Amino acid sequence: MTTDVSTSRAPTPARPHRRPSPMRRKENATAYLLISPFVVIFLLFLIVPLVYAGYLSMFREQLVGGTTFIGLDNYVRALQDSSFLSGVGRMTIVLVIQVPIMLGLALLFALLLDAGVLYLQRFIRLGIFIPYAVPGVIAALMWGYLYGPDFGPTAQIADRLGTTAPQFLSSDWMLFSIMNIVTWEFVGYNMIIMYAALRAVPAELYDAASVDGAGPVRTAWSIKIPAIRAAILLTLIFSVIGTFQLFTEPNLLANLAPNVIGVDYTPNLYAYNLSFINRDLNYAAAIAFLLGIVIMTVSYVVQLSAQRKERAR
Amino acid sequence: MTTTTPDVRAAAGPDPVVPAVPRRRGRARTHSSDQPRRSRLLTVVMLLVLLYFLLPLFWLFVASTKSNADLFSTFGLWFADSSSLWANITTVFTTQDGIYLVWLRNTVVYALSSAIGAALLATMAGYAFAKYRFPGGNAIFGGILGSIMVPTTALAIPTYLLFAKAGLVNTPWAVILPSLVSPFGVYLMRVYAADAVDDTLIEAARVDGAGELRIFFQVAMRLLVPGMVTVLLFTLVATWNNYFLPLIVLNSTDLFPLTVGLAQWQATAAGGSGSRPLFSAIITGSAISIIPLVIAFLFLQRYWQSGLATGSVKG
Amino acid sequence: MSRTITWRRKAAALTAGVGVAALALTACSGGGGDTAEETTGPVSQADIDEAMQTPTELVFWTWVPDIEKEVALFEAAYPAIDVKVVNVGQGADHYQKMRSALEAGEGAPDVAQVEFQHLQSFALGDNLLDLTSYLPEDVSGDYVDWIWEQVLSTDGEKVWGVPQDSGPMGLLYRDDILAAHGIEVPTTWDAFAQAATDLHAADPNVYLTNLPGNDMGQFTALLWQAGARPFGFDGDQTVTIDLMSDEATQVAQYWGDLIAADAVSVDPDFTDPWYQGLANGKYASWVAAAWGPVFLQGTAENTSGLWRAAKSPQWAEGDDVSANWGGSSDAVMASTKNPIAASQLALWINNDKESAMTMATEQFLFPTTNEVLEDPAWADEASEFYGGQQVNKLFAEISGTVEADFGWLPFMDYAYSAGEQTVGKAIADKTDLVEAMQAWQDALVTYAEQQGFTVAD
Repeated sequence: MTTDVSTSRAPTPARPHRRPSPMRRKENATAYLLISPFVVIFLLFLIVPLVYAGYLSMFREQLVGGTTFIGLDNYVRALQDSSFLSGVGRMTIVLVIQVPIMLGLALLFALLLDAGVLYLQRFIRLGIFIPYAVPGVIAALMWGYLYGPDFGPTAQIADRLGTTAPQFLSSDWMLFSIMNIVTWEFVGYNMIIMYAALRAVPAELYDAASVDGAGPVRTAWSIKIPAIRAAILLTLIFSVIGTFQLFTEPNLLANLAPNVIGVDYTPNLYAYNLSFINRDLNYAAAIAFLLGIVIMTVSYVVQLSAQRKERAR
Repeated sequence: MTTTTPDVRAAAGPDPVVPAVPRRRGRARTHSSDQPRRSRLLTVVMLLVLLYFLLPLFWLFVASTKSNADLFSTFGLWFADSSSLWANITTVFTTQDGIYLVWLRNTVVYALSSAIGAALLATMAGYAFAKYRFPGGNAIFGGILGSIMVPTTALAIPTYLLFAKAGLVNTPWAVILPSLVSPFGVYLMRVYAADAVDDTLIEAARVDGAGELRIFFQVAMRLLVPGMVTVLLFTLVATWNNYFLPLIVLNSTDLFPLTVGLAQWQATAAGGSGSRPLFSAIITGSAISIIPLVIAFLFLQRYWQSGLATGSVKG
Repeated sequence: MSRTITWRRKAAALTAGVGVAALALTACSGGGGDTAEETTGPVSQADIDEAMQTPTELVFWTWVPDIEKEVALFEAAYPAIDVKVVNVGQGADHYQKMRSALEAGEGAPDVAQVEFQHLQSFALGDNLLDLTSYLPEDVSGDYVDWIWEQVLSTDGEKVWGVPQDSGPMGLLYRDDILAAHGIEVPTTWDAFAQAATDLHAADPNVYLTNLPGNDMGQFTALLWQAGARPFGFDGDQTVTIDLMSDEATQVAQYWGDLIAADAVSVDPDFTDPWYQGLANGKYASWVAAAWGPVFLQGTAENTSGLWRAAKSPQWAEGDDVSANWGGSSDAVMASTKNPIAASQLALWINNDKESAMTMATEQFLFPTTNEVLEDPAWADEASEFYGGQQVNKLFAEISGTVEADFGWLPFMDYAYSAGEQTVGKAIADKTDLVEAMQAWQDALVTYAEQQGFTVAD
């Protein structure tokens, strides 16, 4: 996504290209001055720890026997580590199932709100968005209770109806339960992004449609959605990143179902446990780097296929 | 963990590609003046959907009116015979000499200073990337964007060790400084500035002899406010809800934000020697901790709604 | 110390190698090093008196609620010493913070609460001060034997901490439920198994007890009581891992059979469903530690008067042995600049009669000193929640039956975590527990070898 964004949306040059002139140099100086506060903080608090972790990932430190340089051995080990690979696989399942549902709902709600066919618009919009303001820690607390196998309301209601509710916290259902929490948290957020994009679609586009006499559904499908492609792609890429970095929700649900959510349930959880429980932070750093590469690759593929579709139009 | 946001989705602002910028053209949208037919059926369906989104919050509210014993012995989605809400609130604010208020204050301080700082830094950088073409600009911008993909949770220990060397551990700075990094904010402000600040305006100011910095602070800044508010708001949420970073870098209870403090209360109930059950206090404390943010959203909604949807006649 | 040095070196290499001059990180920011000298022979009373009259500030990390009370007593006795109590979290969070601070060589406390099973791992990192020369020579006599043994190094030469609280294991049960079904309180595990089967058959909503798959502390105590000695460490490089002994297999087989027969439930403990289960009679008993009675009182108020306490069931008729589940000490970090004051704090708050008594009666920590265990003011207390039973006295008696000689690995965080992934998972999934023990054994051996230990046969 990096390359695409920076090339496709190249900055508007303030003035036509010229040889470096005193004016030009002054502008450059201003630009550097303006970006420097951010860049300094960025380097200190993101890049330096990252480089440090990269450095650490090339060592092995034992509780007995000290530290040795082992080059890329940790990476080789990770690529054969079923814990890491199965975590990535699990996140791929989430990506394929949960992300489309979440973004589909967000898009549907955004279109409904934009079309103005609802009463109580503001109330509904805010209500769907509110979960975003709830900390993940508290969200997991609430859902954990609602999922409760014996005394949670779902179980109690099912009991009264003479059936049994699914065991939400069992290994069969856990992934679904996590996907539900993530969906709950982020539908409103993605909806707002898409809604904002819809509000900003230039009116001329609709004029043509109303001349054609297209109905609301067709307008949505053939005009509105294509018009906010960029916004949808953006939410998609962020969902890819968020999915592979899933941590908070499974980490908290692990308190309720410790034997379902193992130390390697998600790659991020695995890296975390490697450094804190196994005390093997060198290996954890290697896992983190590999995860970053996976995320970049998937984001890039998503981006690429989106562009190909665009061109195919 | 060095960025504000363990979950990157939380870092994303509203759509950076199209939105926020006031559009001069097409201000009156024809389709909106068409008096859309409102549908009762769709509204009812959406209200049912809403039920799903509000149900957990309803549970939280109901649970916060219950005593420890009632929590485990009454139906979760309805009130117990007697309300313990007041007793719970009292417990929340008096446990450990009112430490909850200290946590609340810390949260407000961390979230506000991070949000304001992040918005400011992002605006300056975003404007520079949008309005100046300078050597290395694209490369730096690409690097900033790419960093969103770094799984920062896994960098916890390296970060901690570096912070310790710099003497930052267990100080508010350890929470605030990393939260100032909002790569997405830079991206948003770059896109926003590209549209919101007209090149001719900058050119005119230059002709008037204004310095580059003056142009930014006195001309551009004003136009960038809606975008800035958006970055500010989303950084605010991210920092307010941040759990992992403060958990790692803070030791003193007096410095904790609400998320870490509440989690600590929860741990106190988790068994082993010295355990004691604080469930109703945790739940009530959680419920109270959400309120300021919800109010902030309601209140600031006008800002970002106006920022997001300027140019539309619908409200 | 070696770990600290490695960390330093790494950080220094980074600052130089990566060339981040802008960081302005001072590679060695001083402080934190080993300032406590290796003393030979006891520290003289004169030294102690002098140190205790010198104005000193100590940092004390503990998660005991309201320990400020005992600390205030200490400060009243030694006005020159100022103690800053910090609660950095409970259990895992606490240890993670300690490790991070110790590795960074910055911000570690002077005194910290450390559970018995983790002392060896901190000792391995040379993080703990040997208290031998700082404590009175006859101090071991103040404690129950098995407890004192828990704070010693493997060779018994060094003292890593002062015992604070303990958790001898017993049985808490619902008198009303057992009575209603005409079930006697089981005194052997065989009788317990029979009772579990009968009770669940009589009332399918009730289980005699719950075996959580997430509590390796409890499971280890069950192994301990059966006579298994699965862990060991020679204090140097050799560890013992023996989860496949006859005794351990017996325990695994026993519980595995009960689980397979659906005679016990397998809910994770200290979770909402578990609290609810205790409060509404889903579990008719809890194989609990001595800190359990008061904890239960707080979570299941509505069942007051219905519970009773008993000794843990035995493997052989007529035996009287127990084990420990949970218990901690206060240890002094090797990096402290005030070893005398720090060790006196650790000793005093746990050993002084008034302070130890306060811990037992206000924080409800189960005592470790003979003085408190034998004090009628504490032991004779009748508990209404347990129908007027003298629960303290019972558990004090159980403490005397805890088998000594139980060792630990120097990496119990991993050992318990791996246990949860194998045995714990088998409990939750109701699969073969003996196989799971083998998997646990294998995981520990692999890890130990990876970390450079020699695994004894």
